Order: sequence, then C-alpha cells, then structure tokens
Amino acid sequence: MSGAALPAAGAPGARAAAHSWREAPIQYATALLTLVLVAAPLLPVLYQSVVDRPLYDAGRQLTLGNFVRLARTEGFGLVLWNTFAFAALTTLIAQVLGTLAAVLFGRTDLPAARLLGELFLWPIYLSALVLSFGWYTVYGPSGYLTMLWNAVFEEPFWDLYTLPGMAAIAGVSLAPVAYIYCMSSATITDPSLEEAARVAGAGTFRTLSRITLPLLLPAIAYSAVLNFTVALELLAIPLVFGEPAGITVLTTFLYTQGVAGIRPDHGLAATAAALMLAVVCLLVWLQGRLLGNTRRFVTLGGKATRPRPFRLGRLRWPLFALAALYILATVVAPIGVLVLRAFASFLSPMVPLSEVLSLANFAQLFAEPIYSRAVWNSLVVSAVGGALATALIAMIAVIVHRSDFRFREPLHYAALFPRAVPGVVAGIGFFYAIALMPGLGEIRNTIWVLVIAFTMRFIPTGFGAVAPMLLQVSPDLDRAARVQGADWWTTCRRVVLPLMRPALLACYTILFISFFKEYTTAIFLFAPGSEVIGTALLHLWIQGEAGLVAALAAIQVGVIAACVAAARAAFGVRLHG
Amino acid sequence: MAELVIENLTKRFGEVLAVDSVSLHVAEGEFVTLLGPSGCGKSTTLAAIAGLDRPDGGRIRIGGTVCFDDRSGTFLPPEARNCGLVFQSYALWPHMTVFDNVVFPLTLRKVPAAERRRRVEEVLALVEMEAYADRYPHQLSGGQQQRVALARTLVYRPAILLLDEPLSNLDAKLRDRARAWLAELRTRLGLTTIYVTHDQIEALSLSDRIVVMNRGRVAQVGPPQEVYERPADPFVADFIGTTNFLPGRVVETADARALVALGDGQRVAVRTARPPAPGARVTLAYRPEQIRIAEAGEMPAGAGSVVAARVASRAYVGGRWQLGLDLGGSPLRLETAAPPAGDRLRLWLPADGAILFQGSTDVSLV
Ligand SMILES: Nc1ncnc2c1ncn2[C@@H]1O[C@H](COP(=O)(O)OP(=O)(O)O)[C@@H](O)[C@H]1O
Ligand SMILES: [Mg+2]
Repeated sequence: MSGAALPAAGAPGARAAAHSWREAPIQYATALLTLVLVAAPLLPVLYQSVVDRPLYDAGRQLTLGNFVRLARTEGFGLVLWNTFAFAALTTLIAQVLGTLAAVLFGRTDLPAARLLGELFLWPIYLSALVLSFGWYTVYGPSGYLTMLWNAVFEEPFWDLYTLPGMAAIAGVSLAPVAYIYCMSSATITDPSLEEAARVAGAGTFRTLSRITLPLLLPAIAYSAVLNFTVALELLAIPLVFGEPAGITVLTTFLYTQGVAGIRPDHGLAATAAALMLAVVCLLVWLQGRLLGNTRRFVTLGGKATRPRPFRLGRLRWPLFALAALYILATVVAPIGVLVLRAFASFLSPMVPLSEVLSLANFAQLFAEPIYSRAVWNSLVVSAVGGALATALIAMIAVIVHRSDFRFREPLHYAALFPRAVPGVVAGIGFFYAIALMPGLGEIRNTIWVLVIAFTMRFIPTGFGAVAPMLLQVSPDLDRAARVQGADWWTTCRRVVLPLMRPALLACYTILFISFFKEYTTAIFLFAPGSEVIGTALLHLWIQGEAGLVAALAAIQVGVIAACVAAARAAFGVRLHG
Repeated sequence: MAELVIENLTKRFGEVLAVDSVSLHVAEGEFVTLLGPSGCGKSTTLAAIAGLDRPDGGRIRIGGTVCFDDRSGTFLPPEARNCGLVFQSYALWPHMTVFDNVVFPLTLRKVPAAERRRRVEEVLALVEMEAYADRYPHQLSGGQQQRVALARTLVYRPAILLLDEPLSNLDAKLRDRARAWLAELRTRLGLTTIYVTHDQIEALSLSDRIVVMNRGRVAQVGPPQEVYERPADPFVADFIGTTNFLPGRVVETADARALVALGDGQRVAVRTARPPAPGARVTLAYRPEQIRIAEAGEMPAGAGSVVAARVASRAYVGGRWQLGLDLGGSPLRLETAAPPAGDRLRLWLPADGAILFQGSTDVSLV
C-alpha cells in the first residue's frame, strides 16, 4: 500500500518560485497608463480655459476672462439653445420610435418581426457621418427621392437643413439604443404581469397602454438620458446639415473655433469644451443613478420561455406595411442608395440605372494616394489599435475585478470616466496635449496619435464587453491557482485570461468597428499622412465630390457589415447593449 | 508535512465577525475537522490559512514559516505558503484537460518534464483516475471531478492539506463511497489535514480531532468520541447527533448525583461530577438512543428514573416508529420498534450518560 503513497513532503526548495514582486509593477504601470490616457486630454482643456493666451505661448496668466468672453460672445446663447433643442428633439424621436419598435417587434405577432428588428438596429453599427451622407443622397436637395417627389408633386415637405430635419436623422440613428433597452426590460422578457391583466379581461391595447408601457418606463427613461448625452456630443449631422444653414450647436462651435477657423480662439474653444464636459459629467452621473433604479426592472439574459405575443388582429398587415415602409425609408434607402451611388457615375430617377453603373468612383478614389492611404490607415488603426486597446482593457479588467491592488476602485473609476468625455472634447484635448508635450512631437503626424485617442475614448465600451464575463468566472478558479503556487500574474496569464477569450474576442470586434467608424476625435488630430476614412469623407464632402464620398462610405459600410457578420457567425455575440 | 498553529485568528466582513479569536494547534500528520453549521466561519478560517483572505488579527504558522502575524505585519501571499486547498466547487480549470490541470502546479515548480509526467501518472493512479487524463472537467462526473481536484492538490506534496466540504456536492450514495475512500486515503498519506464540513457523520468517522465552531468561535475541541459523549455546551450537543433537552431545577444533590424536577414536577436523577447547588436551573440532554420505553412495572432505581409522557405524534419510518413525545412541556424524540397502545407511556431515563448543563438554555436558537 505504501508503494502508492506519496513520498514525504518536498524540500522547501521544491516550492514554487515566488514571483510576487511582479504583481505591483504590472498593476501600477497599468493604472498609471490608464490615468495618463484619461487625464491627457482633460487637463490641457481645463487649463486652457483659465489662461489668457494659447497654451504654447509664453507669459500665460491665470484668468476667468474666457468665461466672461464666452458668455458675451454674440450668438452663443443661440448656440446653447440650438444644442438643447436638437438634443431634446432627437431624444424624443428616438424614444418614441425605439419604444414603438420594441413593443411591435418584441411583443406582437407582426409578420417578419425578427427581420425588421434586425434591420432596425443597423444605424448603430454605422457612423453618423455615413448615415448623414446616406440621408443626403436620398433626401438632400438633389437627392434621389427629392427629385422623384419634385417630378410628381411640388416642393418636398421635408428639409434636412433645419433643426427638426437634423433631429429626425439623429433620432432614427439613436432609436436602436432605446429599442435595445426596452427589449431587455422585464416586460418584454417576462410577460406574466401582462397576462394577469389579460386574464382580468383587459383588451390588447388597454393592456399595452396600462401595463406594458408603464413597465417599460424605467428602460425608456434610462436610454433617454443616454441618448440625450449622445445627441449633445453629435458632430456629424450638425456639421453636414447645420453649418450650411447657419445652425450652430456646441460641437460645431467647438470645431469651427478650435481647429477649422482661420484664427482659432483657443480660450473660447477650451472654455466651451469645459462647459460641455461639465454638462455631460452631470448627465453620466444621472445615468448611473437611473441605472441603479432600472436594474430592478431589467432581466439580464432573458428567459427561455417565449412570451405569448399580442394578437394585432386586423391591424396586423397594415402595421406591417407601416413598419416595412419605415425601415425602407430610414435604413434601407439611405444606406442602399449611398452604396448604389458609389457604383454609379450619377444617380437620378430620370436616368435608367444601367446607363450610369460604373466603378469609376472607386478607380478615382484609389488613384489618389491620400484616399487609399486613408482606407489603409483606418484598417491599421482599427486592427492594431483595437488589439492594443483590448490588451489594455483586459489588464484593467483583471486588476479591477481580480486583484487586491490598492487603487483598484480609483482605476475602475478612471477607466469608466471617458464615458463623460465627449468626442469633440477629447479631440481638442489631445490636440492641445500633443502641442504641449515636447516628447510627443514624434508621433504628432502619425496614426499612433489616433490610436491613443481612440483607445482613451473606447476604454469604457470595451470594458463593458469584458467585465460581465469576468464576473461570471468563479473566483475559486484563480484562487485555486494561487494556492498551488502561481503568483497573481501567472494566474492571470494561465487561468483568467484564457477563460475570458470569448469576451476578449467580442471586445476586439467591438473596438475594431468603433475605431473604424470614429471620426469626431480624428478630425481634430489628423495630419497629412495620418488621414482616416472619417477625415477623408469630410474632406471629400467639402469639395463636393459626392461620388467619391459614396465610394468611401460604401467601403466603410462593407467592412463593418463583414465584421458584424463574421462576429455573429464566429461566436454569436451581440455587438450592442 | 508540517504542524499548523493558529492563535487568536479574527476576521470581519463589515459588521459581521466571521471568525472570532480562533486558536488551534494541529500536530504534524493530524487530521482535524472544522465542524459547524453553514455560515459559522469554517471557509473563512480555511481561506485565512491558505492566504486567500487577509485576516484582521492573530497569527498563523505553518511548520517553521510564519504566514501571518498582525503584530509584525507579516502576510505571505497564498503562493508562498505551499498549502493544498480542495475547493467545495472543485475549481477545476475548464479550459485544461485533467492532465493539464494536475501538471500545472508542477510546471510552476519547474519540475523536469519526465518527472512531471511520472508524478502526474502516479497521483492519478492514486485517485483511480489514470484513464481520464485526456478528458476535460465538464466530461467528468461530480465524484470524478472531486478526485481530480484532490490529485491536483496532492501532486505537489503540500505542507498541509485543506479540504472545504469536498463531499457536499455529491449525492448521498456517492458521498458514502467517497467518504470511505477518503478515510482509506488519509491513513495511507498521513498528511496534516484540515477538513471542513457541516456533516457530523463525516466529522466523526474521519477525524483525529473535531473542532466544533459556532458563530465564528470555537465551541469545543476534542476527539470524536469525546465531543459526542461529553459535549461542552447545548449547542455542541444539539449539533452533533439529535439531542433531547429537558429544562428543570435541581432539588437535591448528593455526591456526584443530582435530583432534577422537570416542568411538571416529575423527578429525574442524573450522575454528574460536580452537581450544581439545589435551586439552580439546569438543562438535561439525552441522546435518543439513551431513552427507552419503560417495561411494565419497572420502577425508578439507582441506574435511572421512570417518568410519564404523552404521545404527541407517531410516524412509521420503515422497521421502526418515530415518536414525538411531550414530557412536562418539553418535546422529546424517540425511536422504538413497537408503538405504544395508548397516548400515554412511561419512559426510562438512565442516570449515566445524561448530560447536565447549567442554566435554562434556549436550545431553539441553535
Ligand atoms: N466575502 C464576504 N463578504 C461578506 N461576508 C462574508 C464573506 N465571506 C463570508 N462572509 C460571512 O462570514 C460568515 C462566515 O462565512 P463562511 O466562512 O463562508 O461560513 P461557512 O464556510 O462556515 O459556511 C458568514 O456570515 C458569511 O455571510
Ligand atoms: Mg463554506
């Protein structure tokens, strides 16, 4: 029997080599990197807002003069009003559309509800810039539908170059957010309360209005604050449609004052940016409060039981026609016509399509080195930058959730803080930071500036994809490795990170897509040689090259569509929410 | 193999005092069980020994190594303690095969590849899992996972072995088999072992000594038989084995004997080393197997007392009857082969073996 018994305990030397010293440097380095990344754009903005001349000039004096000047700037009141009106109207439209879609696609026997729901989500995969061009191609002054309408009726009843017009585009592109939150709400996944009402004799529409909608309210309220925040930060739609019509909002004000003007007024721009930062911080704080209240109403993961859908009865087909028309008008047409435009020399309802089909746009696009470089840069920034950012986010996640690092709470806070930093503010901030830091001159005109700025912007997005999965990995698994002699870092490398592989893959895909479509930060930071698709799109747009804009946009749509499809096929993740 | 010394170990979670001044000396090669109800601080104690949680106070020494000392601020991380811990959840790494799971601690210790393979095979043979080396944990049954978890811990010859309710995830039949297997293994290995369980049968059958814990404190330490036969307080008496409690008042004492009046005035004699003064409130504790129905005409004698009780309930449990009795207002449980005819009966309570606790303990709390 003793033959099978284990020999006596190993000598002390057989003990695992203690590498515990590695733990602290890795954790401090990650925390420091995160802190620098998050603070880099913020400190220069805040500092610039309280000095009397550009940051790079000597003899700066601390002053509150910028705030006074901003308040006295002619038309700034109107800018604030426009910003508020645009954001509020956008939110209203997004919430109404999102809620209706959630109830209609999620809870009724509408034909093809799943397909319609999928299509409804499409706008969030694309950049607002591309959507703007899509809308322009269909509904703009010389848009496809506008011309068709002109031929049949008279003046079209729409005008995108107005606040309501802009809000309509923005509302449609943000409605998926409201939709997603409503779809994950308890009422959609757990219909028992509704069924109780129906058993009690309430009719379909009475149940909907008295039970379903009130139960959706927390989800609607939370996504409303979320959408309001995003609408405040939106640059593309006001830039494309607002500027030509003289409608300025805060983001376009920052853009024109901060970089695009002939003589940028840095004091004013930074002060406006600081103001915006404060407002968004407040809104993000409000989101946190609301989410605390929403959790009770949201069932995560959903139930396996398929709730019994409402019967629409005679309204089934009319409602289907309405929903299909909506999807056609707001999703399929803008994207489809834009892509079509890319493959046509000219697009008009009066000219048969077969006569204008050509690849000339793409040929011209790639003939210009600057545009092929933009596509290449976008791919590199997304592929390499996305990988670097995923690595950083993985490190932050294991430190925050799987270590006893002393500053893990502050690190968690810092990692989530970029949610409160609008893209334009981050753009201006990094612009200043690079101008200020002597050592950064090297990377100023390279795509690595963009990688750094994009990483900072999207740490919270990636973290949101990684953290929930990490929390599902039982802590016993890493505790077991620790007890057996693995130090913290070995445990992370050999046990925790391999177990998180699906989440990291999802994180990478989300970051790839986010980096690929990002333009807001980029237009403040790019230089000749470091153009990306977003900046090239704006450049072409200003030159009025509609065909080339469409071709470049089509490339972005194509790459993102391929990514989304591949991600779904590979690991069935949902790339939103 | 090493001894383990714990002194005044204390751990709080916010307001909760999870472990409260626990002291314990486990000799080299000894098998000690921490026994107590769920939430009494067993796992917290184990985690403190393994170094997974930093205690708030006290000292822990494993062999010659001081692992934790609040006075000097010493705190060794888990990887420096060379403990082996088998988790209640087994914590097998789902992305590694059985072989990879077991070889991991050897890789960490930079054991040469050939010896690694030999030792993994040896330990898998020890737990009778050599045929499963290439399987993944989710392809194993609960009992097999438990053996792999044990193998993964034994393979690196830890200084002490810590087992946290290793059988609690197995179904009843498997648990009996695994317990017998574990008992055999432990005599073979002779490792210093701390075994955590809430199951008294496991504790009684496996241990050299049992540490009964209650709300973060040590209630009693002793060999199984002593803890069972001479529980230190009503909590221990109740937790280990079913116990009937009868509150009463001492009316008379003689050398090493006390006469106790129950709630309804009936008198019971018990033998006890140091009888309390007459008038003191006491609680008598009897194991169900100590009590029996008195034979017809049996009268109180020096060896025991006879009392009258009322039958409150009866249930047939296969071969025996379980009776619920009422004795002077206190509930009493009793098993018997033949049920009594009426609803009144006479009980025989032995004077020896009954335990007398001071005070009228509210046993419903335990
Ligand atoms: N991480 C923790 N945070 C807060 N309280 C805890 C934590 N772990 C254990 N406790 C509390 O400490 C007490 C002891 O827990 P534990 O040691 O797990 O009990 P046992 O293993 O004996 O069932 C319980 O009251 C439990 O609620
Ligand atoms: Mg426990």
